[in-house]
Amino acid sequence: MSGLGPLTVRELKKWYRNPVFFITGLIQPFFWIALFGSAFDITKFFPGASSLILGGAPNYITYIVGGVLTVTGLFTAMFAGTQIIFDRRLGPMGRFLSSPIRRSSIVFSKIISATIRILPQALILVIAAILIPNGLKFVHGFTILDGLVVFTAIVLVSFIFASIFSAIAIRMTNMNSIFGIVNLVNLPLLFVSYAMFSPSMMATWLSDVAKYNPVSWSAEAIRMVIINGTLTTSQWIQVGQWLGGLAILAVSLLVMTAVLAEKEIRD
Amino acid sequence: MKVSTMIKTNDLTKIYNRNIRAVDKLNIEIDEGEIYGLLGPNGAGKTTTINMLTTRISPTSGSATVAGLDINKNSLEVRRAIGVVPQDLTADEDLTGRENMVMVAQFYDVPKTVYRERIENLLKLVDMEEAADRLVRTYSGGMRKRLELIVGLVNDPKILFLDEPTLGLDVQTRTQMWNYVREIQKKLDVTIILTSHYLEEIDALANRVSIIDHGKVLVTGTPQELKASLKGDVVTVTFKSQEEVDQMKGIKGVIEVSDSGPNTARIKVENADSALPTIINFISEKKLSTTKLIVQKPSLDEVFLEYTGRDIRTEEAVDSRKMMMNLRKVRK
Repeated sequence: MSGLGPLTVRELKKWYRNPVFFITGLIQPFFWIALFGSAFDITKFFPGASSLILGGAPNYITYIVGGVLTVTGLFTAMFAGTQIIFDRRLGPMGRFLSSPIRRSSIVFSKIISATIRILPQALILVIAAILIPNGLKFVHGFTILDGLVVFTAIVLVSFIFASIFSAIAIRMTNMNSIFGIVNLVNLPLLFVSYAMFSPSMMATWLSDVAKYNPVSWSAEAIRMVIINGTLTTSQWIQVGQWLGGLAILAVSLLVMTAVLAEKEIRD
Repeated sequence: MKVSTMIKTNDLTKIYNRNIRAVDKLNIEIDEGEIYGLLGPNGAGKTTTINMLTTRISPTSGSATVAGLDINKNSLEVRRAIGVVPQDLTADEDLTGRENMVMVAQFYDVPKTVYRERIENLLKLVDMEEAADRLVRTYSGGMRKRLELIVGLVNDPKILFLDEPTLGLDVQTRTQMWNYVREIQKKLDVTIILTSHYLEEIDALANRVSIIDHGKVLVTGTPQELKASLKGDVVTVTFKSQEEVDQMKGIKGVIEVSDSGPNTARIKVENADSALPTIINFISEKKLSTTKLIVQKPSLDEVFLEYTGRDIRTEEAVDSRKMMMNLRKVRK
């Protein structure tokens, strides 16, 4: 009755069968970690102060892995909405709307498939970060629990942004509008966050705004477990706050998207 | 024995933007086993009617029962009981024909063992077995329409809605589609409601038809009844000037003379064979110069003109533009 299963399978088939879509998505993490890791490496300018800037990380790559993982999720999730517009313009939406399925399944299939697409990207990104010279180092080890924190943060970020952009696309018919919105907000979301730089490196007002950016929460939570390995109780509380914030936001946005989809989605 | 009613509408109305009455207090009743045609020009309200009956949009006022279920109260159950072949192409081009069918079968929770066999039979029915495992984007226009036709049947519906099933197809493919529709009706025991603005299509397929214009039913009957209701034949005469058309209106012994396009008079007579000499005599007496003279026995074209006051042929220009749009959609 819900239709979520077959619709999600459809999305995934469209992904892994399209070689360009599939392979570019998997190569992208290599580029990002290599380019971001070297282009934004601020420790070069302050040779003495790197431990202050990096919050205890042995090098800049280790510091930004959390940020790049989050941003990979963000950028992939933002395009979830475009698939809704494609379905509307190319016809399948008409079939979905006349079938006895929940209308929110149409939207949720995009959100879930976007999240699934992000996971191999994230895995490849971590492997790439370890392989490159002076790359990711787990100085204090890495536990299964840490892995779970990384996974949860990425999934929640994906839910948050895939929901927002799907909700925007629910009544939209023009592809250019959504591309415009994506381009308008993607770089601000990246740079007004702690994904690339620590608060101490940012202008005060920027750092104040970045505090409320969910991209910061995810980047900081992942960074915390990667740098420290085994966390102290107070560090766990901090991670719990970040993940909790992400979870509350994700759930409210998913509920909002479901309600909107049931009521508003149309051909 | 009274056959059961499959669809009944009660003052069904849809108003867009507060003042466009797309469907205006429409009342139709369709019995089990019928192929029922909704005939009307573009914008007459056929697709809006279908969209309401298939619960894709909700009516502004009025109600309808489909397979005994209220479209306002039981929309999910209505959708489960019916099959829909929308006007636009809906298959996903990046999947194969079979994958599209499986996906839709799963929408209806059809068990795997059941849908496997059903899909095989449906593919056979429209001669698409060997194309089934190719991506839909490699299909021709006719194949895509055939796929749409059987996708609408994967849930073994009691009622099948066909919205302009042959829009944009060439004449040969269209005739082929008609055969498939007849075959489906015969073998699957399904009630079909069909919209079209091709009169030949309605004439060839429907056992009963409602002519719709401006969202209202103008007349309902079998194609034979409608043709017979015209009571007479039509002689169309084209002159060199409008003045001569007006002179023609002075003729006695015919039912009616009316305007029908530039410099053309439409003369309704009881029997064209016996009225023709009278008309020709009148023309030569008044020394009118004719460029064309056509005798028409009743056809649905004439029925349509009689009830809507418009020639359905003039709609073709709009139609071909729509077809181009559809094609562009396909190409993309």
